[in-house]
Amino acid sequence: MYLLRLALRSLFNRRFTAILTVLAIALSVTLLLGVEKVRTEARASFAGTISGTDLIVGPRTGSVQLLLYSVFRIGNASSNMHWSSFEKIAAHPRVSWAIPISLGDSHRGFKVMGTTGDYFTHYRHGRDRQLMFDEGEAFDDLYDTVIGADIARELNYRLGSELILAHGTGAVSFVEHADKPFRVSGILAPTGTPVDRTIHVSLEGLEALHVDWRQGMPARGAAQVSAEQARQLDLTPSSITAVLLGLDSRVATFAVQRDINRFPDEPLMAILPGVALQELWSLLGVAEKALFIVSLFVVLTGLVGMLTAILASLNERRREMAILRSVGARPRHIFTLLLLEAFGLALTGVLLGLGLMYLALWLAQPLILSQYGLFIPITPPGLWEWTLLGAILLAALIMGGVPAWRAYRQSLIDGLSIRT
Amino acid sequence: MPTPVIELDQVTFAWPRRPVLLDIDHFTLQPRERVFLKGPSGTGKTTLLGLVGGVELPASGQVRLLGQDLAAMSGSRRDRFRADHSGYIFQMFNLLPYLSVQENVTLPCHFSALRMQRACERHGDLQAAARHLLAHLGLDRSDLLRQPVTELSIGQQQRVAAARALIGSPELVIADEPTSALDADIREAFLELLFAECEAAGSSLLFVSHDAALESLFDRSLSLRELNRAAVREEQS
Repeated sequence: MYLLRLALRSLFNRRFTAILTVLAIALSVTLLLGVEKVRTEARASFAGTISGTDLIVGPRTGSVQLLLYSVFRIGNASSNMHWSSFEKIAAHPRVSWAIPISLGDSHRGFKVMGTTGDYFTHYRHGRDRQLMFDEGEAFDDLYDTVIGADIARELNYRLGSELILAHGTGAVSFVEHADKPFRVSGILAPTGTPVDRTIHVSLEGLEALHVDWRQGMPARGAAQVSAEQARQLDLTPSSITAVLLGLDSRVATFAVQRDINRFPDEPLMAILPGVALQELWSLLGVAEKALFIVSLFVVLTGLVGMLTAILASLNERRREMAILRSVGARPRHIFTLLLLEAFGLALTGVLLGLGLMYLALWLAQPLILSQYGLFIPITPPGLWEWTLLGAILLAALIMGGVPAWRAYRQSLIDGLSIRT
Repeated sequence: MPTPVIELDQVTFAWPRRPVLLDIDHFTLQPRERVFLKGPSGTGKTTLLGLVGGVELPASGQVRLLGQDLAAMSGSRRDRFRADHSGYIFQMFNLLPYLSVQENVTLPCHFSALRMQRACERHGDLQAAARHLLAHLGLDRSDLLRQPVTELSIGQQQRVAAARALIGSPELVIADEPTSALDADIREAFLELLFAECEAAGSSLLFVSHDAALESLFDRSLSLRELNRAAVREEQS
């Protein structure tokens, strides 16, 4: 106990280098824990984006790609599937519900998704949580829209707000559907998923926007169809982007998947969201591991910095060691003293790093939520984090053994004579 | 005849692959005796102190501290024995800069239960023992006790070092040129204080210095050059 006090007093005496060392360790610990936190929370958040959907159906492409654009609104579909195929799949005896989705338009950087009212009843996120309305209700009129919570907050939209959709999915669009404005009929409660950043319209509404388009260009002059004229037309879409399927029993999943994969009319594929997510993780796993290893090395750098600082101080502290020896400190006391010093530095660094991580999280939490739609909850460190921190302290102790051993040897050689 | 505090008998010492550095036929330091050991650098002074402190072991012969052969003890036992029975004063910068004056004085008691016990028996508690010694050495101003030790004058620092060497009344105080950094006028005053406190604590004093002017103040004076037959041989060759 007395040795610990001595070690701390000695460190305090060299507080400038000690603070720098602690800071280096703290920052590296912050980075490591931060990376781990974002990694695990991003995983949890991704995994919680879709639940209750047994199969996702789309034109044949990569399963990860289908998952990404249909659920996460990342990337674009390269081709569509026919409406008739959707009708046939929806009529499959094992399918209990089928939700068509159609993507391709946007509004001020937010993606527009055409779907049916069933989406709000059957889509589940997190642990089987249904979409809830903060205000209003699902679309009823052709030009009604239901917006996600982030959009309402960021663009300051209320019920009844009018918005004009743009063709294409870029943040800036040069072709707008200005002739057919939409009206907000419902605002969804926050979910922490891409739903918060999606504008939902009916498939018919989306079709109305494009009814007078020819070869990807809006019609001009007499060929134009006004918003009111469009109401009189048959607005059944000819194609959609993907279908979310719910089956009457989980057991049927593989059978239905096989049927869809062998669909005779056009090449389609059906994926299990969970399996595709796993595939996505195995893809991202490499990057994740790389990130983790980089942050481990940063921690190692911090510890090496500590080692350097202590080793560098040893020579100028030979007098201190000789004095301690003369008052009765045994070489093993000197060894322990140096070890305690390394441990003290590392422990302070780890605790400060932990604090810094939570401070950074607290500051960045709203920013990450608004920028990336990722909600990172502030929770106490879990078993894995404690294990990491314990490993860092253990590494510090082992590394502290180097200067401790040197000081031990030195104190044996120097004895009671003061060499500086 | 009481047991001598230090007794060296037929002691030789040499560093590995070097000629014999120290060759002492016989040397004793009696209880409460104050011995001046004159030794210019190169006469094996540091090595002799290392032998007496049990940090080095002789190649042949015996070094006995309070009648006990140091070579017969284990390394850690020797360390404990030294901590229990001897106090050291170095030439200068004796103090740990990160401890207060009082903490510097009480330092040995944290490594020696025996000295802790003696200090507490004599003065009630450790802090009282430290304050008593410091007061006797003329360092009883309360502001002085709170000052960082680095702000003390060298003379004051040496008195703190003396108090540290004397706390817990060790049988032996070894002073390695403690006055060489002091001005001539305070040198004798420091010695008088040191003598008085050694007397009060019942400690013997082995005082090593090359300053022959102080010689007359001691019970006995010895020249390491004469004591060390190896040094004599080297001069002759």
